[in-house]
Amino acid sequence: MRISPRRHAVRAAALITGLGLVLSGCSGGGGGGESTLTAPGADVLEGLDEAVQVEFWHSMDATNGQVLDGLIEEFNAQNEGRIEVTGSFQGDYDTALAAHRAAIQQGETAELIMIFDLGTQFMIDSGQTVPAQSFIDADGYDTDPIEDALLNYFTVDGELRSFPFNNSTPLMYINRDAFEEAGLDPDSPPTDLAEIREAAEELTVRDDDGTVVQYGFGAATYGWFVEQFMARAGVPYCDNANGRSGRATEVLYDDPKVVEMIEWWQGMVDDELAVHIGRNTDDAQAAFTSGRAAMTLESTGSLGGFIEQSDFEVGAGYFPLVEAGDPGGSIIGGASLWINGEGHSEQEVRASWEFVQFLLTPESQSTWHAGTGYLSVNTEGYDGPEAQERAEEFPQFSVAAAQLADSEINENTAGCMMGVMADARAAAEEGWETALTSDTPAEDAMAEAADRLNTPIEEYNASVED
Amino acid sequence: MTTTPTATAPPEAPPLRRTRRSKETVLAWGFLAPSIVVFALFLAYPLGRTVYLSMHGNDIIGRPSRFVGFSHFAEMASPEFGQVLLTTLLFTLGTVVPGVAGALAIVLLLEGVIRGQRLLRGAFALPFAFSVASASVIFVVFYSSGNSVLNGILYRVGLSQVPWLTSQEMALWSVCITTVWMNLGYGVLVLAAGIGSIPKEINEAARIDGATGVRLARDVTVPMLGPQLFFLIVISTINALQGFGQIHILTRGGPSGSTTTLVYSIFEEAFAYSTSDFGRASAQALVLLLVVLVCTAIQFGSIERKVHYA
Repeated sequence: MRISPRRHAVRAAALITGLGLVLSGCSGGGGGGESTLTAPGADVLEGLDEAVQVEFWHSMDATNGQVLDGLIEEFNAQNEGRIEVTGSFQGDYDTALAAHRAAIQQGETAELIMIFDLGTQFMIDSGQTVPAQSFIDADGYDTDPIEDALLNYFTVDGELRSFPFNNSTPLMYINRDAFEEAGLDPDSPPTDLAEIREAAEELTVRDDDGTVVQYGFGAATYGWFVEQFMARAGVPYCDNANGRSGRATEVLYDDPKVVEMIEWWQGMVDDELAVHIGRNTDDAQAAFTSGRAAMTLESTGSLGGFIEQSDFEVGAGYFPLVEAGDPGGSIIGGASLWINGEGHSEQEVRASWEFVQFLLTPESQSTWHAGTGYLSVNTEGYDGPEAQERAEEFPQFSVAAAQLADSEINENTAGCMMGVMADARAAAEEGWETALTSDTPAEDAMAEAADRLNTPIEEYNASVED
Repeated sequence: MTTTPTATAPPEAPPLRRTRRSKETVLAWGFLAPSIVVFALFLAYPLGRTVYLSMHGNDIIGRPSRFVGFSHFAEMASPEFGQVLLTTLLFTLGTVVPGVAGALAIVLLLEGVIRGQRLLRGAFALPFAFSVASASVIFVVFYSSGNSVLNGILYRVGLSQVPWLTSQEMALWSVCITTVWMNLGYGVLVLAAGIGSIPKEINEAARIDGATGVRLARDVTVPMLGPQLFFLIVISTINALQGFGQIHILTRGGPSGSTTTLVYSIFEEAFAYSTSDFGRASAQALVLLLVVLVCTAIQFGSIERKVHYA
C-alpha cells in the first residue's frame, strides 16, 4: 500500500513522456494550407487590401547586411501598400540552412531565402521552392544581361533553379611593393604553381638568424580552392559529369591534378617558401595584410578589406593554374535566392519574385557591387555610377571580371551538384590538411577523404527517396 | 502518511480515514505537479526522445524516417570514434589537472602575500568574467597562423615559432591552454572562499606545532580544502566533457579531426554541413551521457571518500 504513490508517480511521468512523444510525432511535417509551385502572374497582386508580407532570410551581416537593408528599404518605399519585405539575418550559411531545414519540418518557411551554393542540390531535393526558370518563362524575363558564369553555376538540368545574388570568385592577391623590392614585375603576377614557386623564391626574406620574416606565399587550405583548382584544370569534382547527367555517386578529388597541387603546397611549406596557414581564411588574410606572406588566394570580396588594412600596394592576378596549359575555367562561390512555394500563397510568391527582380536591376546591382565587392549579377550593373566610382577606387577588380569572361562555360566550371556538397568540401579540407600535417602522402590522404564520403553520399541519395 | 493500521480500529474509522487519505494524496500530487511537469518536460521527455531518435535514420531535412535499431551504436566501434573518445579523454585530463592544480597553486601562493592579496585574488579570478566566445576570440589572435601574437613574442626573445593551431600534435594542447585560462578564475574563486572558511585555530595550532610553508600547505590547508577541491574536480570534468565554444572558435575540430571531442562530433553530425543527422548525433549524445555518469560515479566513489568535511 505504501509504495502506491510512487508507482503512481512513475506511471504519471511515463504517461506525460509518452504524450510528449506522440505530440512531437504529430508536429513534424505538414505545411500551412495553400501551396504555389508554379509562377503566378502579376495580376495576383491587383486589388489588394493590404501589403503582401515577404520575409527574407539571409546571411548578410555587418557592411553587407547594411547594404542589403538599404535595398530592402528602397524596394518597400517603391511598393508602399503593395509589398513589404522584412529582412531577417539567420547566421552564417550553414546555420541558415539548418534553420531552413527546421522551418521545413514545422511548415513555416520564409517566403524568400538565401542559400549558399553547396545547398543547391538539397534545395532542389526538398521540393519546397518554385524554380527560378518558371518565373523567367512565365514573364518572358530577359536573362541576357545576367552574367553567364552565374547562370551556368545555378542551372541544373537545363533549368535555372535559383537566382544568383551574392556571388564572388577567387583571385590571387599580391603585395606589389614586395614584388618590386624582389625585382619582379607586379604587372605580370605568376599564373601557375611553378611560377608561384619561382616568384616565392625571390620574395621570401630571412633575417640574420635565418628565420623567415616574409614568406613568398600563404593561403588557407580552404576547400573552395580545391573546387577552384579542379575547375581551372578542367576536371570534374564529382562523377556523372559533376552530378549533372545523373546523381553523383562519388567525389573525384583524388585526381592527379589535386594531388599535384597538394604536393606542391607541401613542398612550399617544407622549403619555407610558404607559411602554413590551416583552414582559417581570417589567418590567411592577416598573413597577407601584415606583410608576412607576399601572395595569397582569396575571394574577390576581400579586395576592399585588403586595400584598407595593408600599408603596401595590393595587386591582383588570376587564380593560378595547376600547370601551364590547363584550360583555366573559373568557379563561382556564394549564395543564391530561392522562392518558397510550399505553404505560400500566390501573392506571397509573386511578391517575392517582384523583389528579386528589383534586386537584379542594373541600379540595385551597382549599389550592391559597390557596397559589398560581390560580383554584379547583372553585367550592366558595372556601368552604374556607384560601380564606376568603385572601379576607379579598386581598379584591381577588373581582373575578376576578365577572369570570369575568359572562363569557358561547361560542366567543370558549373561545379558539382551533390546533396552532401558541404560535407564534401569539409572532407577535402581534411584530406588536404592530413597530407600537410602528417606523413600520409597526398594521394592516400585525398583518396581516403573521397572514400569517407561514399557512405554519406549513398545515404543522402537513398534518403531522398524516403 | 498515516501509519500502522491496527487490527482493533473502530469499524467507522476506515471511511473517514480513506477520505482524509485521499485528500492528502490529492494535495500531495498538487504540490508535486509542478516539479513533475518540469521534470517530464525538460528531462524525461528529451531523454526519451533522444533514445527514440538514436534508433532512427533521417530523411534529408532531419525527420526520423526509418528504424535502424542499434546500428548507430554499432558504428561507433570504429577507429574514428575511438580517436574521438581518446581526444575527449586527453582534453579532459589536459584541462582538469592543470586547471585545478593551477588554481590551487595560485591560492596557496597568494596566502603568503599580505599586501594586496584581495586585489591579486580578484585579478586572478577575472578570467571567470569572460564568456567562452570572447576568451576564444582573444586566443585566436594569440595563436593565428597568419600573424600570431605569441609567435611574435617568441620571435623577439629568440625562440622558435610554434604551430599553435595548425599541427595535429599541438592544436589540442593550445585549446587546453585556452580552456585552463578560462577556468582558472572560477577555481581561484572557489578555493579562495574555501581557504577563508578554514577555522583560524587550526592554522594557529599547526603553526604552534612548528608547521610552516610547504608543510602547512600540504598537511593542513590542502586537506581542509578537500570539499572545494573535490567540487572543482567534478565540475571541471563535466565542463571539459561538454566543452564546445572554444573548440568551435579555435579549430572547428581540426586539423584533421585532432581536436574533435565527443561534443564536437555530436555538433558536426547534427548541425554542421549538409545534413541533419539527428540519429547518429543522438546515439553519440547517449554515449556522452554515459561517460559523464561513469566519470562522476567514479569520482564520487574514489575521491570523495578521502574528502574531509569539516
